[in-house]
Amino acid sequence: MAYHAKKCGIRFQPPAIILIYNEQAKEKDRQRIMPVRNFSKFSDCIGAAEQLKNNPRHKQFLEGVSLQQLVKLYTVLKGHLQGQSLVESLQKIQQETVFDPDENLNKLDDKELKKRKNLMDKLFEKNCKKKDDPEFVYDIEVEFLQDTQLESCGWDDGSDNEF
Amino acid sequence: MAGDGLTVPELDQEKYDADENVKIICLGDSAVGKSKLMERFLMDGFRPQQLSTFALTLYKYTTTVDGKTILVDFWDTAGQERFQSMHASYYHKAHACIMVFDVQRKITYKNLNTWYQELREYRPEIPCIVVANKIDADLKVTQKNFNFAKKLNLPFYFVSAADGTNVVKLFTDAIKLAVSYKQDSQDFMDQVMQELENFELDKKVEEEEEDDLSDKEEYDTHVAKPHIP
Ligand SMILES: Nc1nc2c(ncn2[C@@H]2O[C@H](COP(=O)(O)OP(=O)(O)OP(=O)(O)O)[C@@H](O)[C@H]2O)c(=O)[nH]1
Ligand SMILES: [Mg+2]
Repeated sequence: MAYHAKKCGIRFQPPAIILIYNEQAKEKDRQRIMPVRNFSKFSDCIGAAEQLKNNPRHKQFLEGVSLQQLVKLYTVLKGHLQGQSLVESLQKIQQETVFDPDENLNKLDDKELKKRKNLMDKLFEKNCKKKDDPEFVYDIEVEFLQDTQLESCGWDDGSDNEF
Repeated sequence: MAGDGLTVPELDQEKYDADENVKIICLGDSAVGKSKLMERFLMDGFRPQQLSTFALTLYKYTTTVDGKTILVDFWDTAGQERFQSMHASYYHKAHACIMVFDVQRKITYKNLNTWYQELREYRPEIPCIVVANKIDADLKVTQKNFNFAKKLNLPFYFVSAADGTNVVKLFTDAIKLAVSYKQDSQDFMDQVMQELENFELDKKVEEEEEDDLSDKEEYDTHVAKPHIP
């Protein structure tokens, strides 16, 4: 990855997503300001986050920033536009808007697990190809080569490699 | 006694010894998408049998492999820890395992270690497919290297229950693997495992005394019709 994302935040006025990153082999951190346009208190945060993440101009800079984090930033902005304080917005996010990807869902009871699944359902529904869709294909095969040339997923390092 | 209730999913497991029956288990953390994958493969032509107290959904599926009719039971299990005591029955007589993680959540990948270790305690030999689900959420992961499967020399699939990528291939390959495993092995471990499982289950029952009654009720309702036709 050529750019190493260090911090990513939101500015309310004028609205922008701000990224602090580091260019490979360069010492100095740089700041990238990505203006937020056409976003209102009614907007869809997941949609906006995805659009930004796939924006050809910003995409390579945002590789190291998760979609969830961007969704969260847009949600804070949306809260602000609705007149919520930052603390309120963050609380609300904690409760319902994004889940903590590191949380161990195996430990939750049915009700809490259902809540997390509901959050996941938004993206699922969005990407879901329905059976009655004329473009629906039952058997879709795509080959993805796994060779050692590929960059690591980053999840393999660490102490529990003893397998 | 209470032990009866807890052994419910072992109900009818004798049939898995018959040539044309195979049992395939689907394992992995909570919310990785095991049920969604099953549903995507079977669409809605199949009514599952739900054993909610045991966190288990059974799907029956009929197919042909090399001209022979094969009856497949898919055991869709739940990842929640409170069902740990059921695991022995999940593994019992299984012929193949589909082990799923969520590419969006590292913890589910890390936990594969635990699932795999447990699987191998009960079923040292059965084929196991490692599955990276939800690739629709971020296609870039498919260009990354996931070492877990490679290290263990296991087949590895990138799939999405949402858009359907590689789901049918995954399940049809799992069935083939289950059938050929069954042909090649005599399952002599099963007898031994049965003893061990009963022992394990008895032990667990004590810790779960409070759930006892509801477990039993659930058991009684379902035992009458082990399979919905
Ligand atoms: N984007 C996306 N989301 C998915 C996919 N598969 C499942 N999900 C989401 O993940 C949630 C959990 O899926 P389930 O199938 O219930 O997970 P599970 O592994 O059966 O979970 P337990 O039975 O609780 O252990 C669903 O509510 C979906 O929103 C997928 O392929 N893509
Ligand atoms: Mg499930």
